Amino acid sequence: MTVLRSEWLKIHSVRSYRLAIAVAFGGILLGLGLAQMAAEMYESASPAQQARASLAELEEVVLMVPQLSLGILGVLVMTSEYTTGLIRTSLTVVPRRWPMLAGKAAVVGVIGLVTGPAVVFGTHVTCRWVIGDRFSGLYQTAFADKLPLLVALSLTVPAFALLGLGMGAILRSAAGAIALLVGLLYVIPMIVDKFPSPWSEWLGSVMFGALPRQISGDLTTPGVYGTSLPPPVAAGLLACYAVLPVLAGAWLLRRRDA
Amino acid sequence: MVRCGEATPCRTLNRVIELKYLTKRYGATLAVDDLSFTVRPGRVTGFLGPNGAGKSTTMRLILGLAAPTSGEVLVNGRRYASFPRPMREVGALLDANAVHVGRSAYNHLLCLARTNGIGPRRVTAVLHHVGLSDVARKNVGGFSLGMKQRLGIAAALLGDPGVLIFDEPVNGLDPDGIRWIRDLMRSLAAQGRTILLSSHLMSEMALTADSIVMLGRGKLVAEATIEELTARYPSLEDAYLALTASSVQYGAGGPGR
Ligand SMILES: Nc1ncnc2c1ncn2[C@@H]1O[C@H](COP(=O)(O)OP(=O)(O)OP(=O)(O)O)[C@@H](O)[C@H]1O
Ligand SMILES: [Mg+2]
Repeated sequence: MTVLRSEWLKIHSVRSYRLAIAVAFGGILLGLGLAQMAAEMYESASPAQQARASLAELEEVVLMVPQLSLGILGVLVMTSEYTTGLIRTSLTVVPRRWPMLAGKAAVVGVIGLVTGPAVVFGTHVTCRWVIGDRFSGLYQTAFADKLPLLVALSLTVPAFALLGLGMGAILRSAAGAIALLVGLLYVIPMIVDKFPSPWSEWLGSVMFGALPRQISGDLTTPGVYGTSLPPPVAAGLLACYAVLPVLAGAWLLRRRDA
Repeated sequence: MVRCGEATPCRTLNRVIELKYLTKRYGATLAVDDLSFTVRPGRVTGFLGPNGAGKSTTMRLILGLAAPTSGEVLVNGRRYASFPRPMREVGALLDANAVHVGRSAYNHLLCLARTNGIGPRRVTAVLHHVGLSDVARKNVGGFSLGMKQRLGIAAALLGDPGVLIFDEPVNGLDPDGIRWIRDLMRSLAAQGRTILLSSHLMSEMALTADSIVMLGRGKLVAEATIEELTARYPSLEDAYLALTASSVQYGAGGPGR
């Protein structure tokens, strides 16, 4: 508990960390901007074009903002301990070591758990309001029908933030951990998509970005990702993405000299 | 163990650091080589040795930051990692530059204090004690080396510990700062605390320390009081140069000088 309060203060007391959290919330503004652009384009199109017009779900588009900013926050919260040299002081005052990482995980996880739903649901409400009945009523479906997807999208934010923390704990270097994080989110899915047939579908299903749609069972716009996992398996895999790197980081933290 | 308030120094029965056959190997180098000595309370123990002799490594081993290859080190009779509230037992300054430049001095100390259940009042008190009250809310990125040394000492004092470890705290300090550290070390020792202090400044160490532990290439070269050394040699510096002559690794003229 005392360690938790310390780790919260560590994040709260540094402006660049507060900025990363603010940027994550900025995803709602991006959603508003995109929704307004889409609505204007729709209005200036002919009725025939309007009938055929489609729109990607903006919650999913906007999601990369909180994902990346909190993922990078997760990385930096751990790697800055090493770049500043503070790690030695931090481990001297918490010699069992794992409580420090657990404290960071709790704080980063909670920040993600607040930010993720705020951005996803905030964007959803904004889109309902701005898009209205345009795009064949994309944003007029019953809220309850959309709820599973919105919840699943929200949960990827804390998961990604924890993934960043775990990568930071394992690699101890911000450059390496951020590169791996971005690679995992954007580069590897594109490579996997080019794999021969059964492989691309199977690997495409276990990619991080493929999980929210498989968790919710809302597979309307599959994109580059596969869709072969049942919801409970996809949910379990998302938890693995979040938890396993942190556990590996904790194990290494206890073993390695500081 | 006796627990007491923040104002009075703790009266623990066994404020000692005991090294027993301590060895730390990094690849081919033996940073600490079969080292045994005891640091006792009520005096300042100077920790001397050429660059790379293993002083900082020994301190990291004492604090459980590095795991010994063999042997063990006990603080107050226990392994450091076994203390639930280590700041109340041991305070350490290893590297004054190890701070987050974007955090204020007050918040830096409060982050450390909270892990050991120490409150903000104590943080304010130690900031006052080291003379940083006026800059408590300023980011440490703007601090001079001397101010960072003071901040590091404040961190070490937070838990009012009976054992204190300082790695080159006078490095880069002006004469005022050096004098301040000397007086602080002497008063902490006079309160009955155990002080382990490393430095390369021999004349300063001669004024500050009561006894000396000297290392060369990870091995114990000498363990004596200042009086014993200055009785046998013209000065502490002469004692140091004579005793470490065979173990200087990075001196002018190269190894094996
Ligand atoms: N993490 C490490 N990995 C590999 N070698 C190390 C590590 N830490 C220390 N060493 C080696 O151990 C030896 C002792 O280093 P240490 O820093 O303890 O010396 P020191 O007495 O503190 O020197 P100085 O007076 O320069 O501070 C050196 O040869 C150093 O290169
Ligand atoms: Mg050193």
